[in-house]
Amino acid sequence: MGGTLARRLSTLPAVLLGASLLIFLLPRLAGVDTVRAVLRGRVAEAEPDPAVAARVAAELGLDRSWAEQYLRWLGHALTGDLGVSYATRTAIAPQLAAALGVSVVLAALALLVAAVVGIPLGVRAARRPGGVLDRVVTGCSVLGVAVPEFVLAPLLVLLLAVAVPLFPATGWGTPAQAVLPVLTLAAFPVALAAQLARAETVDALSRPHVAVALAKGVGGSQLLWRHGARLALTGVTALSGMFFAGLLGGAVVVEVAFGIPGLGRLLYDAVTAQDLPMLQAGLLAVVAVAVLAGVAAELLQLALDPVARAEVEV
Amino acid sequence: MRRDPVLVAFAVLAGLLVVAALLPVDALTTDLSDRFAEPSLAHPLGTDNLGRDVAARLLVGTRLSVWFTLVAVLACAAVGTLLGIVAGYAGGVVGQLLQRTLDVLVAIPTVIVGLVVAAVREPGPSTLLIAVLLTGWTPFARLAYQLTVRERAREYVEGAVALGAGPGRIAVRHILPNALRPLTAHACLRFANVLLSLAGLSFLGLGAQPPTPEWGAMLAEGRQYLFVAPQLVLVPAVAVVAVSLAVTLLGRRLESRCSGR
Repeated sequence: MGGTLARRLSTLPAVLLGASLLIFLLPRLAGVDTVRAVLRGRVAEAEPDPAVAARVAAELGLDRSWAEQYLRWLGHALTGDLGVSYATRTAIAPQLAAALGVSVVLAALALLVAAVVGIPLGVRAARRPGGVLDRVVTGCSVLGVAVPEFVLAPLLVLLLAVAVPLFPATGWGTPAQAVLPVLTLAAFPVALAAQLARAETVDALSRPHVAVALAKGVGGSQLLWRHGARLALTGVTALSGMFFAGLLGGAVVVEVAFGIPGLGRLLYDAVTAQDLPMLQAGLLAVVAVAVLAGVAAELLQLALDPVARAEVEV
Repeated sequence: MRRDPVLVAFAVLAGLLVVAALLPVDALTTDLSDRFAEPSLAHPLGTDNLGRDVAARLLVGTRLSVWFTLVAVLACAAVGTLLGIVAGYAGGVVGQLLQRTLDVLVAIPTVIVGLVVAAVREPGPSTLLIAVLLTGWTPFARLAYQLTVRERAREYVEGAVALGAGPGRIAVRHILPNALRPLTAHACLRFANVLLSLAGLSFLGLGAQPPTPEWGAMLAEGRQYLFVAPQLVLVPAVAVVAVSLAVTLLGRRLESRCSGR
């Protein structure tokens, strides 16, 4: 397993390098006028004075060649200097680190809810396909996928912050403030995990080794959890990309809706303020987290699934 | 085909949505003397923060929220199916390339793509379409690829090859018709996803710009008055969830029919 980890992590620099080139070229290929974007962020002026524009371009190094700009940007990024925000003229790296920390906590809590609520519900539902619990779980999981974060957020605020004032409607920092955002963000992963766990467990219960276990006299619930749940969890981890996309996309909406200073909010603010260096740094962080999350999911799968482990070791 | 209650209910909903999009109602006139009005005969769902008729905005909103989604889903289906069939038929390196591309793209959320596209373009429907297309073609490509690989191993394809049919003819005349049913079912399941993505991007202000009515944008606008007039949020919320649920249920029904055959 150590070898797998090392091999996986060794692809990280290559992926990041490719992504960094793409992220660097993106606004340039799209023909964004960076100087005007910067000036728009500082002063509300439609047509910038050419002398001012030239000075800003020189100040940002935009008068050099693309290759030089890219290498400078990359070199600085490698030393932890992600540049200065066009909008606020403050260093990006500390802001990005703080935002990343907030989002990781938010996403981890939502994933925890999905694992603790979604998987057991799906496994239990699979015990009697077509039964009452199965219908309720399936119905709720369809609803969970159909109700988006931007609908769930105001609904939860109306119910649990206005009608019954249990939790604060906005903000971040106290455990109470985390409840509504985490519930909103968890709806999709819970629904997805329940559906997957149900399908995997139904499938698992029909396999020969389960029949053998039954014939050996292993009790029903022990069987369900030992054999079924294990397979269910590997099915869930195999679709980690989908969970990641759901969490990240959801995090943007949830952080905007609840006023949480996370990575999604940072990206959103960067776009609305036309703050290109901030957006580029944020996207780099997203790619890095995506690759790391993929590695983590793969390791989890190897730890849980003996078949996959055997394939790797051969 | 026997009459299926899900299909009937869906046909009724689709008819209602067509009528809603075509009704000549006034969704733009503001009346500041009549803000946040209660539901009445003149305004069945009340008025919003600018005194505009909420029901009219909901109806006109179907054009961008529902029918634009249909356009986007069809575009995704066309691109994805084409690439999937080509890669499935070519196999080998091309097939591997497609699968690796799909593996990467599945982890990229549409919202992030939308933010990036909006950063380099002006917000608006074309920005939304690009954002949805960039990620939305992938599930169709995956399915079309799998179906093509499965179908081309069948004996009837071998027979067609023996009779001298070229790859293009086999793809269009033999593989596509067999792939159409599962792809249609899949399109229904994706429709809800694209609907929610588009509404979500509009909620973030990246799509339809005010005063154009769109459900996600209405929700975002109404959120500022959540404590005064919660109906401004609830009305578009119910509309979004109802349509996305209806299409999802239809997709599940069609999919189980496909696999049942």
